[in-house]
Amino acid sequence: MIEARGLSKRYGVTLAVDDLSFKVEAGKVTGFLGPNGSGKSTTMRMIVGLDAPTSGSATVGGRTYGSLRFPLHEVGALLDADAAHPGRRARDHLNWLADSNRIRRTRVDEVLDTVGLTDAAHRRVGELSLGMGQRLGIAAALLGDPAVLILDEPINGLDPEGILWVRHLLRSLAGEGRTVLVSSHLMTEMALTADDLIIIGRGRLLSSGSVTDFIEQRAGHHVKVVTPDADALGALLRDKGAEVAVDGPEELSVQGLESRDIGILASGAGLTLYELSTQRASLEDAFMELTHEHAQFKGMPTSLEASAR
Amino acid sequence: MTQVLLSQGTLPATDERLPGVFLAVCRSEWTKLRTVRSTMWALVFTVISTIGLGILLTALVVGHWDHRSASEISGFDPLLYSYAGLNVAQLCIGVLGVLVMTSEYATGMVKLTFGATPQRHLLLGAKVLTFSVVVALVSLVSCVTVFFICQALLAGRHAGLSIADPGVLRAVVGGALRMVLIGVIAVGVGAIVRHTAGAVAILFAVLLIIPGLVQLLPAPWNNDITLYLPNSAGAAMSAVVRFPNLLAPGAGLLVLLGYAAATMVVAMELIVRRDA
Repeated sequence: MIEARGLSKRYGVTLAVDDLSFKVEAGKVTGFLGPNGSGKSTTMRMIVGLDAPTSGSATVGGRTYGSLRFPLHEVGALLDADAAHPGRRARDHLNWLADSNRIRRTRVDEVLDTVGLTDAAHRRVGELSLGMGQRLGIAAALLGDPAVLILDEPINGLDPEGILWVRHLLRSLAGEGRTVLVSSHLMTEMALTADDLIIIGRGRLLSSGSVTDFIEQRAGHHVKVVTPDADALGALLRDKGAEVAVDGPEELSVQGLESRDIGILASGAGLTLYELSTQRASLEDAFMELTHEHAQFKGMPTSLEASAR
Repeated sequence: MTQVLLSQGTLPATDERLPGVFLAVCRSEWTKLRTVRSTMWALVFTVISTIGLGILLTALVVGHWDHRSASEISGFDPLLYSYAGLNVAQLCIGVLGVLVMTSEYATGMVKLTFGATPQRHLLLGAKVLTFSVVVALVSLVSCVTVFFICQALLAGRHAGLSIADPGVLRAVVGGALRMVLIGVIAVGVGAIVRHTAGAVAILFAVLLIIPGLVQLLPAPWNNDITLYLPNSAGAAMSAVVRFPNLLAPGAGLLVLLGYAAATMVVAMELIVRRDA
């Protein structure tokens, strides 16, 4: 388990992380979300003791990272996939890391196999592709068979197959009871991978909790109805207390009634339906709504912003 | 691929004592050192400059033996020429020492290093010790080798020294120790500056440029200060004849030790205090 209590980091006049408190539970994938520059990496660096907090503290399994003696056995971290000497062979990169925490060398072969780099083990790090470098970084994080994994943007530079692989890997790591904290600025990816979310903006905690709760609370859902009798059905549904918005000549957007009830009402009134479907808000929409007022850089033209969605 | 995921239940007791951590980090640093090509190249150049330049200069002296001036004859130190190459070798050792630390920052690897060993003072200590042992072995072998070759050349003029002569063994070991201490200073400067170019520039300024500038000062300042510069203090460690412009060997060692200790104290303080 990872816990942050009142974690803050100040760089000069900028407060990169501002009184952040959260818990990351074991057995789940926790997505750490926030726009670029919101303080995700700084927070992760403080958890693994690279940067000292200005105030507050972070613990892993109840202990501060700096008090761990062979920390790779407890915490595996991927903070920067380029963090390797380009002239060193991939296997040697893992070997020195294993030696530093007295991890047996056979384990190096195991993790190379896990990430699919066995055949590239003799190649120099500088000769690896972006995706292979990312896999090597993940191998380094897995090396000590740790109970806690902290991964900063692990799918950066991966091809679709690699992304799918990381998704499965994270799920199975959490399935084994490990604590998995994974940062991303890609909401859609987190919707597929994460159980819990910690969302920050400008270094502050905006929301934390389960993915499903987050979507329910932040954006809810509506029912899309396509019918030739839009006016009649609209009036009927409003009578039953639903909120009805007209999206087109034949299209309604209904909130407050489930699709099942709408279907029963329509058939009772003899109205034809072409389409009746529940529309769940995506994590992307909920996230945009939440971080909109907290965006680091304002003044983006509305049209651009809309197309970015 | 994801089938053989993670071997479960292999967590050893992780409350390892600090000496155990230190040994593990030393082994790790040794692995780092021998798995990059720059190490091998820097050490090859160290050996070539130590042995090659020593032989070259000694051979030149032997060549014009009969034409030497009176002052050359009276102040002749048979080891001075043998160990002339150390002035170049120390630059190779210095660059390698800087790289041992700055390449970690340049590549971002330092995040993994500090993550694997949060006890940063211990990490720097292990780095310095491992590097020192490597430098000591390589320097000692080349210092001993160049000693015997050069003295054999000088033996033809009946001017060669025996390893059993007074002060000779101390001078040979002193030559290797000088390289070790320069190496320690270089690692320290690398840890303080954290940028390869900056650290190498500082090291070269101290070893190459400042001695020249100090000579421009009015007497007796120029000679008095020169005595205590790392270059002269280091050269004094492997002198057999006492020169007025060099400290006694023991004093030279103390001065160079002082520089190394001061650099390491600052480096230790900064490496713990600064963010990675």
